[in-house]
Amino acid sequence: MNRYEKAAAAAVALMLVAAGAIFLYAPGDALQGPVQRIFYLHVSSAIAAYGCFAVVLVGGIIYLRNESPVADRFARAGALVGVVFTTVTLVMGMLWAKPIWGSFWTWDARLTSTLVLWIIYAGYLLVRRLAEPGRQAARIAAVVGIFGFIDVPVVHFSVTWWRTQHPGPIVVNNALPAEMLATFLFTLACTLVLAAVLIAIRYRIETLLDAKVAIAEPAKLVSAQQPEAAP
Amino acid sequence: MTYLVLAYAFAVVLLGGYVFWSLRTLRELERRQ
Repeated sequence: MNRYEKAAAAAVALMLVAAGAIFLYAPGDALQGPVQRIFYLHVSSAIAAYGCFAVVLVGGIIYLRNESPVADRFARAGALVGVVFTTVTLVMGMLWAKPIWGSFWTWDARLTSTLVLWIIYAGYLLVRRLAEPGRQAARIAAVVGIFGFIDVPVVHFSVTWWRTQHPGPIVVNNALPAEMLATFLFTLACTLVLAAVLIAIRYRIETLLDAKVAIAEPAKLVSAQQPEAAP
Repeated sequence: MTYLVLAYAFAVVLLGGYVFWSLRTLRELERRQ
């Protein structure tokens, strides 16, 4: 078992403890019933996705400044893991909406802006997949990643900027009982650890893929620097 | 209850599947290196 497998096992174990808190410790919701428990991972995944896309933003800015291959690899890793967490957010939200709203989807500001966020970063990944590896693809992707991040505050504040069907902020408004808040914060911490571990693993994969490209086609290297080991 | 089970089952399959796929890809690349 290498250090990445150990870290992944620890992150998965933490998520299992979080599942225990969600299903065994957190009290039930009198109004919504059992589906309210979707909230804990749905919101945690959304915040983890914001964090991943922040990595893409910072990586993109650093890449455009000094063409650092390390920053570019972090950006690629953040985009993929962010899309995974956004998918979890969207699908869990739809499965919560069906029994509560009576439909899986409504074109309100929060849902639509989240779908747009998913499309932006899926597009980022598509650019990376389809374009020839090299400076041009990395620069275009960095610009997409930087401008794409504009949608993150739009998603986050959509429930306060516009009248939406989606529930408004409840954590910052102290609308949760203590046990629910503790469960949410613990689940959020575990989800952020999982996201960090997944980015580290993906960073290592991107490093090895860059090394493979450098051996096969040296001219297509993102920069002249040799790939570095994961931090 | 059905939707709660479906939601967490989806999350487990997607996140678990992604963790497994990532580790398998990493192991394969490190083996070839």
